[in-house]
Amino acid sequence: MLERRRLFALLTLAPAVLLADRALAADAASFVRQVGDQLVNIINGSGTMVDKRGQIRAIIDRNVDVDGIARFCLGRFWRVATPQQQKDYLTLFHQVMVNSITGHLGEYKGVKYTLGRVAPHDDTVWVQTTIVRPENPPADVEWVIGAVDGQQKIEDLVVEGTSLRLTQRSDYASYLQHNSDNVQSLIDAMRRMLARQN
Amino acid sequence: MSRRLSPFALLFALICLVPLIAACTPRPPADDKEALADYTQTNDPLEPTNRFFYKVNDQLDAVTLKPAAEAYRYVLPDGARESVHNMLVNLNDPTVFFNDVVEAEPRRAGDTLMRFLINSTIGVGGFFDVAKHWGYPEHDADFGMTLGLYGVPPGPYLFIPILGPSDPRDLIGFGVDIADWPFTWMVNGTTVYALEWAYYGLNAVDVRSRVLDSLDQVEKTALDPYATIRSLYRQRRESQIEAIRNDHRATVPAWFPAPEKATD
Repeated sequence: MLERRRLFALLTLAPAVLLADRALAADAASFVRQVGDQLVNIINGSGTMVDKRGQIRAIIDRNVDVDGIARFCLGRFWRVATPQQQKDYLTLFHQVMVNSITGHLGEYKGVKYTLGRVAPHDDTVWVQTTIVRPENPPADVEWVIGAVDGQQKIEDLVVEGTSLRLTQRSDYASYLQHNSDNVQSLIDAMRRMLARQN
Repeated sequence: MSRRLSPFALLFALICLVPLIAACTPRPPADDKEALADYTQTNDPLEPTNRFFYKVNDQLDAVTLKPAAEAYRYVLPDGARESVHNMLVNLNDPTVFFNDVVEAEPRRAGDTLMRFLINSTIGVGGFFDVAKHWGYPEHDADFGMTLGLYGVPPGPYLFIPILGPSDPRDLIGFGVDIADWPFTWMVNGTTVYALEWAYYGLNAVDVRSRVLDSLDQVEKTALDPYATIRSLYRQRRESQIEAIRNDHRATVPAWFPAPEKATD
């Protein structure tokens, strides 16, 4: 009896779940289209590089789960960092993210992109895009969209099969390994690196 | 009759000497579990040697291949570089075909065969990728991926002089692909020999010119470019193998009157 009730519940729920999945996928695609258009318009628009970076940063802060990615990238060292170090690290990481994403889109005018297939992956949705920038072969970029506190956020970019956050995490892990696991020296290095770039 | 070694065969022979001078990273103590987990996950026991070769390569690159690639990109317009790239890809198609067959991927093998036939003729020696527009898209295949597809693990990371990032599986694949490339066996005349060197040289410049901006970005933003490239290489290889695994296209081409709907 219980079995049948469970089966019945499953059967009634299944279409709802499927529909919800499809709605989520469509949502994810339009979300990527919206964020992508904003980014491309800024890069292709007029204005100085400093202005553009400021505008891009606002979009990234709004639509990318920067804090989540930051914590993931620090891995086990997040726990050993002091509250002040965590705060400094997060602040710097926001800028790292801006440079990293603009790096993949290119900083020069003429960038274009097309949306491709949308596919669910565990509890995220992957939206495929092809990014074409001048002087470069087309790049396949997957946008990993998840829900953070009920809001759609970009959780990762997978460029030609390489995950942005995994790569960043191994960079930091290796730096820490060669600098006696000292989080402060990582923060200092990030600061120096950003000062050189901007 | 004396045979000259093909350039890549020569390089491969030299590479096999590398392990003789390898130095090792000390394994972390067993009680430091997290450090040990990092160590096994990174799987780079020859890190000091690898880093040494990375540095040598990086410095060589800065005065040779990189300026050559920049000049190449500066001198030739986009379309011309694309044509040269197509031609190089076409010359490599016999190797791709061999691997498609060994991978037991008939659809991919068919694509490669048609690409080679169409592009070599109508595409004027491969300069124009006509086949792409006729429903035969380009894909990658090499023996390292083939081994990976059959479940061979990559093994420890290796940074090889001149060749760059690799691992034992891909290095073996590299050796096999030299052997399965028909042009390797044509090095008898001086002209063919010179052409082969020209092919390898042009290929290197083409590949380098296509990653100029991406590698600049790594150098500019990574705290440890060596580790970043290691991670990028591993992920990229894994994703290429995954792409073959996920290629579920039906074996008959789309235009063939299929008995049932085969696309998903």
